[in-house]
Amino acid sequence: MELIGISINHKTAPVHLREELHLTKEEMIDLAAHLKKDLLSEGIVLSTCNRTEIFGLTQNKQLNHSQIIQSLIDLKKSNEITEDHFYKFFSCNAVKHLFNVAAGIDSLILGDSQILGQVKEAFQLSEDVRFSGAIMRRISEYAIHVGKRAISETSIGVGAVTVSYAAVQVIEKIFAGLNKKSALIIGAGETAELAAIHLKDKGIGKISITNRSFDRGKILAEKINGYMLNWDNFKNELHNFDIIISATSSPELIIYYDEIKKVMKKRKGSPLFIMDIAVPRDIDPKVKKLDNVFHNDIDSLKVIVNENLKKRENEIPVVKKIIQEELVNFFSWYNTLEVVPTIKTVREFFEMIGNDELVKIKNKIHKDDYPKIEQMTKRLIGRILHNPTINLRKLAESGRTKSEAIEYSEILKELFNLTKNSNNGKDTN
Amino acid sequence: MLSTIHILNYLLPIFYLVTFYVYYFDFTHDKSSFHNAKRIFLFVTLFVHLSYLLIRTAEFNHPPITNKFEIFTVLAFTIAFSYFLLELLTDVRGTGLFVIFFSLIFQIISSLFIQDLLEVKEVLRNRMLGLHVVSALLGYSGFTIAAVYGVLFMLLYKDIKLSKYGLIFKRLPSLETLEKLNFYSMIIGFILLTFAMIVGFVWLPSAFPNFSYLDPKLIFTSIVWIVFGIGILLKLIANWYGKKVIIFSLVGFVFAMISVVIQNIFAKTFHSFY
Repeated sequence: MELIGISINHKTAPVHLREELHLTKEEMIDLAAHLKKDLLSEGIVLSTCNRTEIFGLTQNKQLNHSQIIQSLIDLKKSNEITEDHFYKFFSCNAVKHLFNVAAGIDSLILGDSQILGQVKEAFQLSEDVRFSGAIMRRISEYAIHVGKRAISETSIGVGAVTVSYAAVQVIEKIFAGLNKKSALIIGAGETAELAAIHLKDKGIGKISITNRSFDRGKILAEKINGYMLNWDNFKNELHNFDIIISATSSPELIIYYDEIKKVMKKRKGSPLFIMDIAVPRDIDPKVKKLDNVFHNDIDSLKVIVNENLKKRENEIPVVKKIIQEELVNFFSWYNTLEVVPTIKTVREFFEMIGNDELVKIKNKIHKDDYPKIEQMTKRLIGRILHNPTINLRKLAESGRTKSEAIEYSEILKELFNLTKNSNNGKDTN
Repeated sequence: MLSTIHILNYLLPIFYLVTFYVYYFDFTHDKSSFHNAKRIFLFVTLFVHLSYLLIRTAEFNHPPITNKFEIFTVLAFTIAFSYFLLELLTDVRGTGLFVIFFSLIFQIISSLFIQDLLEVKEVLRNRMLGLHVVSALLGYSGFTIAAVYGVLFMLLYKDIKLSKYGLIFKRLPSLETLEKLNFYSMIIGFILLTFAMIVGFVWLPSAFPNFSYLDPKLIFTSIVWIVFGIGILLKLIANWYGKKVIIFSLVGFVFAMISVVIQNIFAKTFHSFY
């Protein structure tokens, strides 16, 4: 039984290959069932837009990563993906990688806060389909604890690290509360959607979408509970919005200086935030000259993003320290798993000797004395075994690797002749 | 009693300095341990200051408004107290540093030069004068705080316009909040100054035989009152936003300060008590 893990992520494969291996919930359930049947005694399957990973305990020592990778490739019927697109982990490194993922330091967006929730869901799914066992359950507890500690004890998740979120931060420095403000999103692509979602999360009062393709715009509007504005006349409505975010693929400007000037007249100088995330730009940058018009484009917002990313990078050593602490804690527990059967065997061996001796003297002593001698024998065994038991457990807990714990166990078995090849604990005397 | 007054007089700048430092530390540090505790520092400082003013009033048998340096200590108190109320009401905590700075300066000057005055003109013991001066000082405190928020608004406005995301951007509340705080301070200052002027118009002619409506302090105060009044009206009626209203409060404040300095140094009229 060995801890094993495989991972395909943004560091090992381009996005189109990662997409190929993205698993739906149903696929994860199917894969878990397959793995449990033939390969892993327990495990988890994690699949997000940036990574697909499998961790578990092997059913036999001959198992290698290739079989797990092949199961995944077979399930998705992918031809392009090879083993080279995967990271492969064993034992401590498998747990360490999982902790890194939970803490967000292995994410495409450093310190990504969503990943912890996705890790939790993966463990829950594993539990639901009975793919989880005592060891994976304990790994799950530690991984979630690592993720929570990383968030609460460090700044790994602090500050905006996407342009859309940086824009929301600037918006919050202009307006006191977003619940009474209205925003217009021009475009319905991925960037526009991300910006709309951030605004929605921040409790924007009203959000409208306008897009050249009405149908595509409507899909986004429905997704975020927004309103749809007709492309042909959206400019007549611009003055009704406090926030305008533009992210179209138009090769030319969509909104000109004079148009915003008129808008500001209608708004009586009330502030207007304009975010132009499009490349090439959609809105004439000269509008920033107008009073109370706060214009931002990708370059200006990247200043915030880069600064925050740098801050997050500075937090990596602190997060790694947390991971190291929790790895030690986990392996203290995990290593004792190897000594528990040894302790049990030694105890049984001593009890067997005690019982043998009691049988021998049972008919030689008065029947009233027998219970006292029986009690004394049990106490004696308990006292003799107390220190070795405690020390063996401590040695296992303080051992850096599982092999150290195994070594101690083997020595103990050897001393008492308890190895499986011997007479299974029979007293050889 | 006198020794207590003297000790408190020297302690007060230290109290304000510590409070100022605590607010400064909180402003400049990301995860400051003083974020919640700084309010307690300000409260203790205000409590000590109020005790000092009350003991002084009891000991010298007149409100502490009989000379410039007594006025300064009252002004230090009213500015800090007004800010404290504003912080409690709005829960905007990132701006105290800039307001308490004024209290600190006024208190240092006061502590250095204030004297024990047992003998003062009888008119300075009058309660109506106390009401008149204290409400005027509270009014000016409101204008001072409005000006501080005005300056902060302008700094943040400029930083956002230029896409500069430094300390000012990170620590200050939103432009809308700063604008509101500026406006509320203006209104409070305006109401209190109006009250002071009404008391003055009612009481001064009867108290001073040489009362004149052409008194420079009266004229300058009226101009300050008009400037702030216009700013408030434009905001309320014409729905002006941001910079335009802020400029009114800044111009009004600068004018008020200049006029106070000029009157106190150069003008010698019935309205000059010290």
